[in-house]
Amino acid sequence: MTQSGTQSGKKTPADGLTRRRFLQTSAATAGAAAGAGVLGAPMIWAQELKDVTLNWAGPSYSVIADIAEKASADLGFNIVPQTVESTALMAKVVNQPETIDIADLEFWAMQKVWRSGQVQPVDVAKIANWGMMTPLMREGKNFDGSDLSRQGTMPAEVMYIAAAGDTEFAASPTELATIMPTIYNADTVGIRSDLIGRPIESWAELFNPEFKGKTALVNIPQIGIMDAAMALEAMGEVTYGDKGNMTTEEIDLTINRLIELKKAGQFRAFWSTFDESVNLMAGGEVVIQSMWSPAVTAVKSRGIQCTYQGLKEGYRGWGLGMGLMGHLDGIKRDAGYAFLNWYLTGWQGAFIARQGYYSSVPDTAKANLSANELGYWYEGKAATEDILDPYGAVMDKAGAMRDGGSFEARMGNVGCWNTVMDEERYMVQRWNEFVSA
Amino acid sequence: MSSRSSGGVSRLSPYLQVAPLALIMLAMVGIPIGTVILLSFWESDGIAVFPTFTWQNYAEVLTSPLTLTLFLNTLKYALITLAATILIGFTCSYFLVFHVRNLKWQIGLFLLCTIPFWTSNVIRMVSWIPFLGREGLFNQLLIGAGVIDQPLDVLLYSDFAVVLTYIHLFTLFMIVPIFNSMSKINPSLIEAARDAGASPWQILTGVIIPLSKTGIALGAIFVVTLVMGDFFVVRVMSGGQSASVVSAMKNNIDQLFYPVASAMAVLLVVVVLMMVAAILRVVDIRSELAR
Amino acid sequence: MAQSSTRRGADFYLLAGFFALFVIFLYGPMLMIFILSFQGPTGGLTFPMRGVSTHWFQDLWSSSRYGDLGGAFRRSLGLGVLSLAVTAVVCLFAGLAFRRRFWGAGPIFYLSIISLVVPGILLGLGISQLFQLMGFRLSWWLSGLGAHLSWTLPFGLLIMFAVLNRFDGSWEEAARDAGARSWQVLRLVTVPILFPGLIAVALFGFTLSYDEMPRSLLTVGGKNTLPIEISNMTTNVTTPALYAIGTVTSLISFLVIAAAFLAIAIIQKRRARARRGAD
Repeated sequence: MTQSGTQSGKKTPADGLTRRRFLQTSAATAGAAAGAGVLGAPMIWAQELKDVTLNWAGPSYSVIADIAEKASADLGFNIVPQTVESTALMAKVVNQPETIDIADLEFWAMQKVWRSGQVQPVDVAKIANWGMMTPLMREGKNFDGSDLSRQGTMPAEVMYIAAAGDTEFAASPTELATIMPTIYNADTVGIRSDLIGRPIESWAELFNPEFKGKTALVNIPQIGIMDAAMALEAMGEVTYGDKGNMTTEEIDLTINRLIELKKAGQFRAFWSTFDESVNLMAGGEVVIQSMWSPAVTAVKSRGIQCTYQGLKEGYRGWGLGMGLMGHLDGIKRDAGYAFLNWYLTGWQGAFIARQGYYSSVPDTAKANLSANELGYWYEGKAATEDILDPYGAVMDKAGAMRDGGSFEARMGNVGCWNTVMDEERYMVQRWNEFVSA
Repeated sequence: MSSRSSGGVSRLSPYLQVAPLALIMLAMVGIPIGTVILLSFWESDGIAVFPTFTWQNYAEVLTSPLTLTLFLNTLKYALITLAATILIGFTCSYFLVFHVRNLKWQIGLFLLCTIPFWTSNVIRMVSWIPFLGREGLFNQLLIGAGVIDQPLDVLLYSDFAVVLTYIHLFTLFMIVPIFNSMSKINPSLIEAARDAGASPWQILTGVIIPLSKTGIALGAIFVVTLVMGDFFVVRVMSGGQSASVVSAMKNNIDQLFYPVASAMAVLLVVVVLMMVAAILRVVDIRSELAR
Repeated sequence: MAQSSTRRGADFYLLAGFFALFVIFLYGPMLMIFILSFQGPTGGLTFPMRGVSTHWFQDLWSSSRYGDLGGAFRRSLGLGVLSLAVTAVVCLFAGLAFRRRFWGAGPIFYLSIISLVVPGILLGLGISQLFQLMGFRLSWWLSGLGAHLSWTLPFGLLIMFAVLNRFDGSWEEAARDAGARSWQVLRLVTVPILFPGLIAVALFGFTLSYDEMPRSLLTVGGKNTLPIEISNMTTNVTTPALYAIGTVTSLISFLVIAAAFLAIAIIQKRRARARRGAD
């Protein structure tokens, strides 16, 4: 078993170089942060940096022991990963911020967490690769320069503040970011193409009586209701003002319809964890359901035909960012910035690409991928040889193509984003009613 | 006893003996519960909690028809599980105590019942899924035997699966106390009853059940509290198709709506305490401890 | 225990059959987990088996995809042992205390019951805030232990009630009358008589703690315990490695019980020898 976060990693010359570069960066940032109780010259800072330990907490699909280990080795200080499920993470950030230094937060959670004042803004000027960041994240612009869908919490909407201490988000990019975007993806439904045997093109199919008793929804209220809304809107039953921020009437309409469907036996189950969704699909319990990308891969790896089906109404997007906790200052904050900077240099981006997620700085990630991997994960090309997951297990066979196609085809077609609604409390209440109906 | 010089000490000794428990319980349960009660009167906007006194959380919980549904559903689970675990726990203990005469066998078989408990509950719960599923072992067996030709859907992701899992997980909590009580019944009592001409049924209802009732009551307290406080089993095994009080509460907690969740928790604690008080009214556990 | 074996009637076989069915019910699903953990390298979480191998055990050991499983396991083991010790000692004395009527007995008892019922996440939040208020850093061995004790002690107390049910106090009185000091009575009379029951209380303390999750979530601070780590893992691992973890952790639990019962056996043998010596 690997011991994560040790400093004992052997330093190749390349590692040494990277490390020195980061020390320089942090020395520079130390100079920039003049008022922050500077005790000594940059030289001393560099010497002390190796004694820093950063607690890095977040969901298990982003806070990965190997990444922490590599970063620790490259940066020369200790990064200790802790996996925390995203709802528990919100509670920890708000109630026990001292236990975390760097938090991987989902953008929808920012609507709640930012107001707590426990996360400090990221100074954009101190992130070297900020300029290379995809406009999807940085500006909320699509590949053709048009605006991305603003239904739900589009990352750029909650990414900037006008001045330190602000609890309201700025409408357009500023020099202060709430969190630094890291990974994101586009979600859709997974289908058992072998059992359905015909093309599936619309979210409406989720509620098609043809699949009665063989569909499932995710049992996380704010995500489940979005998938349901995508389906109801596709069926032409409801037109939402903003699916990501429903009025109480829209919530009532959606939940009442869901209760009807449930009573009619449309759903086999509502899953709460990733592995449940895999088992539902692999065990033949359901043929179409809301699903996450790696879950589809897990089903496929058992030799079962499963497709992550892009639909004409678009994907449901989500994004994750890194936040610096408010208590970080002095050398620890510098270490935090060094880690954030390291994060965008490509090693992590490539690692995460092999799990099916995109990096906020695609160029550096792409540079760390092989041509075969690049073609498969980002460019929608058929694999020329077997595709391996980050741990070396075969994920897809040569000749296979990624469901949904290229980066542009998938991320360019996001219909709505994971979110928290203004009427959240009412929604959760009604969702509970739905589950117990 | 009062005549002894140590009388003063012995009057004090229960306080000394119970002090560690009392201190830990006060700190780890009493004070946090105080926080929960306080929270239940406060307001929240989903992140910040405002310390202003309000009845609104209780009003919301008490007026919502959902609350009643949730409690009835959870009570239903608790009562079915209780009945089943008492039946199984009593029968198995009875067999072990009165029919297995060899002490080594008795202890060995008792251990056999307890061993699965030392495995993670989550894993024991999940292990039912490959068994009960649509393409699971049980359905395949039934189809193979020609009993049915379509797989049964009600086996998994249903109330049946939830209750089955509860019974699987919690029967031990019934067996341990009942076995303990029953094994203290003096066999000569039963001999005496038999000699006096009592029928086996009379011995059971007149001697064994009254003398095992402390065990049954303790087991009942365990089972009721465990089922009433569960959210995980109901969530996974019903496939999210049903909710219990706590599983619904969990959705509120996840979204940091602590005050309304706290109000629900207070209500739950009150209801369960009433149930426990009812159990204790039937069986005074503590009177059996006193000499 | 040389009891005359009376004739076995139909009720014996009926009850034995019932008992056997119950044992099958208990072990059946678990057995599947054990079998499935030996899936071949391409096997999944459900039947059919695709070959038989120890691949997933090796994977668990060698792959870095399982994060800090080893550390989490050590922490959970440590917490389990701490809970075991505290639960056994605290509940022994509390159980003894509850044999008499004393002021505050009711509130302490009901506080224990409340602790069983109150949703773990909320209680964990309350406990974590208490520690923060007192100026402690949240950590698994302090606030985590506190949270675990809030779960194991009520069980221990109630099991103690079962153990002390109709406990014959005359042994203690006889010892006291013979001039034994109270700690001597405890060490030489009470504890030996209650020992098997105490082992049960201790084991409850261990496994309840080893398995605890809701209360731990917000009280462990910066390091996870095993159940939290496993539960987080289910968001990106869906291989039979999950079952391999189940098999390995069960094995360890079995070893703990085996050790405990070996202890009982040795003590009982010693006691039997002492009794023979006294005759």
